[in-house]
Amino acid sequence: MSKQSPVHFHRMKDMPSTHLLGTGTPMCAGCGGLETLHTLYDILGEKTVFVNAAGCMTLLSVYPFTPFRGGWLYTSMGSAPAGAQGVRDALDILLQKKKLSAEEDVEVVVITGDGAAYGMGMSATSAAMDRNLDFIYLCYDNEGYGNTGQQYSAATPHAAITSTSKGSHGYPGYKKDLFAIWAAHNPAYVATVIAAEPLDLAKKIERLQSLSGPRMLISLAPCPTGWDYDPELSVEVGRLAVRTGVWPLKEYIDGEVRHTKIPKQRQPVEDYLRLQGRFRHLFEPQRDEAGIAEIQARVDAYWKRILEE
Amino acid sequence: MFRIRFHGRGGQGMKTASRILGSAFFRAGYEVQDAPRYGAERRGAPIFAYVRADRKVINERGIIDHPDLVVVADDTLVGMPAAGVTQGMDAHTLMLINSHESAEVWSQRLNTEASILILAAREDVADRASLPYIGSRCAAAAAALCGVISREILIAAINDELAHLSTDVIERNCQIAQTAFDQMSDQSGLVKQGGSLSAADYIPPEWIDMPFEKAEVSNLAIHAGATSVKVRTGLWRTMRPVIDYDRCSGCTWICSTYCPDGCIDVRADGYPEIDYDHCKGCLVCVAQCPPHAIESIPEQTAREQESGEQT
Repeated sequence: MSKQSPVHFHRMKDMPSTHLLGTGTPMCAGCGGLETLHTLYDILGEKTVFVNAAGCMTLLSVYPFTPFRGGWLYTSMGSAPAGAQGVRDALDILLQKKKLSAEEDVEVVVITGDGAAYGMGMSATSAAMDRNLDFIYLCYDNEGYGNTGQQYSAATPHAAITSTSKGSHGYPGYKKDLFAIWAAHNPAYVATVIAAEPLDLAKKIERLQSLSGPRMLISLAPCPTGWDYDPELSVEVGRLAVRTGVWPLKEYIDGEVRHTKIPKQRQPVEDYLRLQGRFRHLFEPQRDEAGIAEIQARVDAYWKRILEE
Repeated sequence: MFRIRFHGRGGQGMKTASRILGSAFFRAGYEVQDAPRYGAERRGAPIFAYVRADRKVINERGIIDHPDLVVVADDTLVGMPAAGVTQGMDAHTLMLINSHESAEVWSQRLNTEASILILAAREDVADRASLPYIGSRCAAAAAALCGVISREILIAAINDELAHLSTDVIERNCQIAQTAFDQMSDQSGLVKQGGSLSAADYIPPEWIDMPFEKAEVSNLAIHAGATSVKVRTGLWRTMRPVIDYDRCSGCTWICSTYCPDGCIDVRADGYPEIDYDHCKGCLVCVAQCPPHAIESIPEQTAREQESGEQT
């Protein structure tokens, strides 16, 4: 794949104003994951082939409909990076045999939800990074198995109510640090992104286009259906995830982790939690001071560590 | 046997409505089946749920083809063929529509022999915060119309099915259900139970037999890109975002970038345009536009305005 970045995203006005991804997909109204995907596709362009693990986004391409202008391959939840390896190998063989010109080559892009990325697909992803596979991986992280009714996953945050953590305190576990796990493999690039910060997202996509090898994106994907808020709040919820420090925007490149957006004055986490039905039990019928304070303390501890480094 | 179908949009609580009614029948001593059917399985997309209830063992399975009662939570679905609201309705069917319009208007419009009743849509129906309660209203109205479920049993069934919600939400649902139950009580028993169906009467769907073909013929490869535009997800919309171009500052990116579906493109003149064939009505653009140049109006009102402009 020839590496180039023809567009430079310096300001918001540089964001694409027409869109490549076909409309008419069955994603929910207000889907935060689709918001990230359409920006990714606008910037990467048509010379892409998508390898999609089972999840919400499998429904993007239900025969004979597809929003993509190029190829799409469906895999089981655990094996999207393995599928990407097969596609990349096939392309490389065609290139080698001169049956495919360099201009005709395409970028292989894996899309999976958090169920696959944080759980079932972990070993295939780890192995793909070990083999230094030249691919892009987008995880749309809506913090649960959204397509089947929001059961908890390894990405579910502490205290969130899901359909399998319905008790009065919500999910007892803590969100897995996938960024750190992926970065520990020393791939070419790892970043956390969110569609509510489009310029940060666009710059990171542009950066990964100039690299080769495993390039990994984790996008927090606000989910009106699974997180229980009005769809029109999708961007607001995403923005608050960043401003409260719950979702740190960062990248790993050349062995270094850099935070790309450090909130100057972090808003209290409750501004983020309060908007979502999955955290309503922290505020109603009575305020769970200890529960809110614990979430705040974990976020504070993270940023204290980062700012002291 | 009672055969009841609930039609609504994902998020309006039709699955819950069928469960409440199912539980109420069960508490009243009936054998019950209740199940939802999803299409796109997405908020806003048409879904239906059905309930069978009988004093005897129920051997029927699958979708109800000959409904005794059809409850429609969202009247914009009636004209949508994919929603299949009127499927299998005949003279013995009772149809209950949550609508601002009268039964006469619907009778004429549908040209149907079925009896039509109106569950008067509340004035604040455009308020999406009230949507979750439509399920309880529909279940309560259906319970009253069947005439074999008491108020107490209905309330107990709501408490069964909504037990995971907070007490004030359950209380609110019970209040709304009681109002709907009382509203329909003078029509109590209007639903006529259908007789037992025999396999001999089964009318198969109008399937077209396809001759067996070689794989490359029968399993067509799709070479065109972005074919998803053929799917008109605009039908999911209950509220429509409308751009006021006098207020639009022509920022060229905000609504266009944040629209999750990529339904807003910026035209050559620098102003955005919404693709209403595909806009699902999430209203992210309304919430994000800095000069508040996009407002939301009920889809029904927008359509009425459009048809007014055409005539």
